[in-house]
Order: sequence, then structure tokens, then C-alpha cells
Amino acid sequence: MTTLDNPPAETTEAANPTNTFDVEALVRPDRVHGSVYTSPEIFRRELEQIFRKGWVYVAHDSEVPEPGDYITRMMGQEPVIVARGKDGQVRVLANRCAHRGNRLCNAEQGNATSFRCPYHGWTFSNEGPLVAVPMRNGYADRYDSLRGELGLTPAARVDTYRGFVFASLAPTGISLLEHLGRSTDAIDRLLALSPAGELQLGAGHMKHFQNCNWKMVMENNVDGYHALFTHKSVYDAVRPAKVSHQPAKVKVLVRDLGGGHSEIDYSEEYEKLDEEFVWFGRSPREKLPAYVSAMEAAYGPERTHHSLVVGPPHTLIFPNLFLAEMNIMTVDLLAADRTVAYTTPALLKGAPELNGKMLRRTEGAMGPAGFLIADDGEIGFRNQRGLAARGSEWLQLSRGLESDLDNETGTVNYDKSSETPQRGFWREWARVMGASA
Amino acid sequence: MTTVANTDAGTSEATRPVFTPVDPELAAFIYLEARLADESRYSEWEALWDDDACYWVPMREGDDPQRNLSYIYDNRRRLRSRIAQLNTGSRHAQTPPSRMRRTVSNLEVLAQDGDTVTIASNFALHEYRYELTVWAGRYVHRIRTGPGGPRLVEKTVHLVNGHGAVPTLAFLI
Ligand code: FES
Ligand SMILES: [Fe+2]
Repeated sequence: MTTLDNPPAETTEAANPTNTFDVEALVRPDRVHGSVYTSPEIFRRELEQIFRKGWVYVAHDSEVPEPGDYITRMMGQEPVIVARGKDGQVRVLANRCAHRGNRLCNAEQGNATSFRCPYHGWTFSNEGPLVAVPMRNGYADRYDSLRGELGLTPAARVDTYRGFVFASLAPTGISLLEHLGRSTDAIDRLLALSPAGELQLGAGHMKHFQNCNWKMVMENNVDGYHALFTHKSVYDAVRPAKVSHQPAKVKVLVRDLGGGHSEIDYSEEYEKLDEEFVWFGRSPREKLPAYVSAMEAAYGPERTHHSLVVGPPHTLIFPNLFLAEMNIMTVDLLAADRTVAYTTPALLKGAPELNGKMLRRTEGAMGPAGFLIADDGEIGFRNQRGLAARGSEWLQLSRGLESDLDNETGTVNYDKSSETPQRGFWREWARVMGASA
Repeated sequence: MTTVANTDAGTSEATRPVFTPVDPELAAFIYLEARLADESRYSEWEALWDDDACYWVPMREGDDPQRNLSYIYDNRRRLRSRIAQLNTGSRHAQTPPSRMRRTVSNLEVLAQDGDTVTIASNFALHEYRYELTVWAGRYVHRIRTGPGGPRLVEKTVHLVNGHGAVPTLAFLI
């Protein structure tokens, strides 16, 4: 059986005699067991079931704009190279020399048509094939077949949605579009803010080391309940909340989009206000004249007004992409209790006026010194430590369960503090983790 | 601007020892700034700054803050907000404040420009908050001198691990 570091009472040899993973003992419709955050065994299974078999966000294609451009990233705990070939195609290749496994590319980013392994000098093209082996005589007649067989292992499946590059290490499974489901609306909503309909990431990622489980980092992003408490210091010292947090007063909703994707959606409230740029420090449009006219030239005045009113999404795309309004966030998984959060501003192609300000806004809110995220990181750390007390082992996620409504957009709740997004996250987590290994 | 000690890598000046004595008042100012930060004396620390303040923690040396994201790039207004947040007592990441001591050394005068002096130094900072964390890097202070005493214009903090993952940095570095 699967041994848990922190086994729930229900998971005993008697109750679970087979080699299956008893996900029912961990996730219920209204609660999750604390071990999902603490158990190294569950963490290992997540790497397998979620980060190898499923679709994982890897990079954005604007990070490798030219042929030869590459960046190195992690898929789960596996190093990959994301490289644009001379054919213009973006590939995701295992960052592991096919000779004896040395990490091939050791830079974070660069431009190269080939990678030469420092260990014994094997050279691979940035499209994967092995192109040269020093002192090849040592392989005698086997050289040609060796050379044909040994390239860099490509991710089994790679697909993109509007520049967001996703990969899966499993050869079969649902398509990317099936995986993304309704969450493509959130990506579309973000790109509707670019006159060119494209992102242009490239300001670099803040990397914030956090002593907590990766799910705490991701999930907290769609927790509409914590802001008044965790971020009290911001509201007290700097500025009141964008809109009231009293559910009776505002039309802000949380939504479980299905597939583990979920969001906090301010658009109805903003539409009610009918005010542009509430999401961008209430900047008057006169201060962004070139941006507004580029938007109107691209989309016409009406659609532009709508996009500028509703602003960007606040949407978690399962498992590791968070569209944090004008930021893109993802995570590296170091261990069950150690995570690195990556954040970069969602710079928009064709919007230099906005982009300069966006750097300063990202720094203000996000990352290790951010007015918001530094405190989320601290709370995440304390959460991880609190879970070590095993007296009552469940975490409650029942808030708003009775007032959830199903409609064509998913399961919504007009009380922003409802734990609807988390329930959606955990339902998908349970489905994927419970599937046979 | 008069360049006093050229510290660009690869130039002969950089490899020849150049001792430009640091005005003791300016050295004392840098040590005071360090001590107020160490002791989380937020408002007193803030009072060292001039109006055209720039408190900058880049991710890498050589970054352009107009193109590259920084960990911190505060103007006077943002700095005021940062201090106000710390002063609420509910900035959880600094409640209670980290216990800290930093050593600032290797002071070199980089430039003297009218009433403004640029001084580089190395620092090692020990932070205790649940566990001991070591921070290290290079400071570049731009200090304006005048009859009212020195005022801090710019403080740039080049972390040795700025390009890697850094832990929560909610204290004054
Ligand atoms: S491990 Fe790469 S050449 Fe030997
Ligand atoms: Fe938060």
C-alpha cells in the first residue's frame, strides 16, 4: 500500500489492502486532510500523476522570441530546455545528456543552435538530435545507429494556447484544449488588453523561496476570504481595498470553472461601476493616450471600453499557472514543504505606456518584498507549521457550500469569501491523484 | 563627475589598491543607516532619506530598472508606503520583526559629484526569524552632504543570490 508520512486514521492496512491510493481518505466535498500538504509520499505521487501525466505550464513563447533562443525550466522536478528551433517551433526537451545524464544546459537562458555537454563533449542540436560525438572510433560500427537513436528526449506532448506553452510527459491523455476547458476565457481576457493580442514577457521572473507546499501557494491565490486579514496592513497603511469586501455590497464572485481551474471575478462589479482601469490604480485614460488609441484602433471603442472596464483575469489554471491580473505566476516544486514562486509582469505587446508602470506595480504587490505576497508567504509558512499538529487532521472548505450556484460558466458563488475555488481545485486533484498510477 | 576609484572589472585601476579615505561622517552615516535597519526602527530609518529617494534591490547587477523587474524599486512615495505598512504592526512577514545584525565593510568611494558622494561597500547580514538566514551582497549608497547633515539619496543592494530564489524580504535590507 501507499504509506503516508502522516496517515489519516482511515488509511489502514485493513481498509486499504490493495496498491491503490485511497483518495477518499484525503479529500471530501467539504474538507481535505492535512497530509495533502505535508506527506512526502503524496508529494511524490503528485509529481507522477499531476506533473508528469498531466498538462503543465512550462513557459510563454515570448520568452524565446527568436530561433535559437532558449530558457531552462523545471517540469515538476525534471529539468527541461524550452528552445525555439530554426524552423520557428518551440520544443520542450529533457535537460539531460543522452550519454550519461549530465545536465546539458546550465544557463537560465540564452541563444544557441546546439548544446555541447561539458562532461564528454557530446553535442546536440537545439531541436534535439545528437549531432556530434568526440572520438567516435570508440563506438566502431555502432556509431551511426547510436547517433540516430540518442537525442534529447522531447516532452511527449507540447501544445500552446495563445503563446502559453504547456507540456505533458505522458504520450496519451486529453488534449490541451480539453484540459484548459473554460479557462481559455481567462487567457483571452488577458490578451484582450493587448492591442496586438499578445503578451511580451521578458522583464524576468522574481523567484520567491517559500517554506510551504506548492498547493498552498497556488490555492491561496483564489482564496477570496483571506485578504482583509492577511493583507490588513496594506489596507490600513496604503490604500483601501479596490472594492468593498462585504458580499452584500459588491458583485464580486468566485468561480469553479471545472478541471481544477478557478477564479475570483470582479467583472460584474466593474461593469456596474462602468469605470475604466479600476484594476490599474484607477489611472485616468488621459494618462495612457497611446495605449488607449492603439486599443481603439485594434478593437473599436466599444470593445476597448469593455476590456478596460473588466480588466485582467484573476484565474488559477490547474495545476501551476496563475493569471494574477497583470502578472504571470508559476511554481517550482522543491519538496512537500518547499516551493519557489515565479512571478513576472504580464507585459503587453504594443503597450509600452502600460508596461513601464506594470514593472513598478508588480514590485509593489508581488515577490519576496511585495506588499501582498511577502505576507502570503509568511502565512503559508505558518500554515505548514500549524499542520504539524495532528489533533484534528482536516482542513475546512465548506464555506459557501450551500449558496454555490451552477450555471453555464461553472459553479459560482456571489460571496467572494466562499471556498468554491478550493473545492474545485481539490475535486480535480482527487480525480487525478486517485486515478490508477 | 569625478570618478575616484574605478571599479569596473578588467581595468588596471580596479586591480591596483586605491585608498580614498571615506569621510568619517559619511562612514558613520552608513553605519547608522545599517543599525536603524537592523533594529527595525522604521521611521528613524525613513528620516535619513531625501525627497528624490531611490531604494533599489535589483535581481541582477547590470539590470535596467526600466526594462527588468526588480525585487524593490522604491521612490520616495513607495518608500513611505513600505514604512507605513511595517509600522501598522500587522505586516505579518515582519511581525514580530526579524532580529538582525549586519556587518558593512570594504567601503570605497566610487564618485564625488558636487555635494553627492557615492560609496560602495560589502555587507553580510544575519537574520534570525524562526531560523538563521544569511544575506550578503554589495551596497551602493549615494549620499548628499549639506549643512543639515548627510541625506540618503540612493541605496542599491546587489544581493549575491539576487538571480536565484530569495526568501521573504520584508525587512529593510
Ligand atoms: S554525459 Fe554528456 S557527454 Fe558524457
Ligand atoms: Fe494574498
